[in-house]
Amino acid sequence: MTSHLVLMVVFALFVSVVFGTLMRDEPAEQLRFGARLFAAFVLGGIALGWLLYPLPL
Amino acid sequence: MRATTADREQSATYTYLICALAWAIPGAGHLLLGRRQKGLTFLIALTLMFAFGLWLEGRLFPIESTEPLVVLAALADVGIGLSFFIARATGAGAGHVVALTYEYGNAFLIVAGLMNMLAVLDVFDIAQGRK
Repeated sequence: MTSHLVLMVVFALFVSVVFGTLMRDEPAEQLRFGARLFAAFVLGGIALGWLLYPLPL
Repeated sequence: MRATTADREQSATYTYLICALAWAIPGAGHLLLGRRQKGLTFLIALTLMFAFGLWLEGRLFPIESTEPLVVLAALADVGIGLSFFIARATGAGAGHVVALTYEYGNAFLIVAGLMNMLAVLDVFDIAQGRK
């Protein structure tokens, strides 16, 4: 598995699951918080990728 | 008065034992304290994340005092508990620096260890009756 996007999504999934479980006590709240965190990670990662795209790195 | 002090000492010892177990096996502390759902989630997610990091050819860093940044990475790796020592003993986590996924593997291993440390702090709070 060498796709950067897939690896980023898998990483975001693990971190969201753990933080969602850690920060909230009720399962429904954990799911909601984890889903929001996951979306923020993935969308933020893609947005950051596009922002960096024009830079000559 | 003596009984109260003894109780407090026993309670503190119990808390630290639970924390040590929570560090050694991700989720074990929560399971022992009756937080079954949280414990199972940590056990599965953190162990899988660590295994994923090894599969991505990440490195389990050695504790070398000559390189401070490597020491920090090593401390984060050790945060996952017994899995770290089992992986080192079996020769896993040697790290393949030219592999395309090497840095990703390191990120998975380090973050899994750090998140287990956060889970241990959560166990400490629960054992102290703060949560």
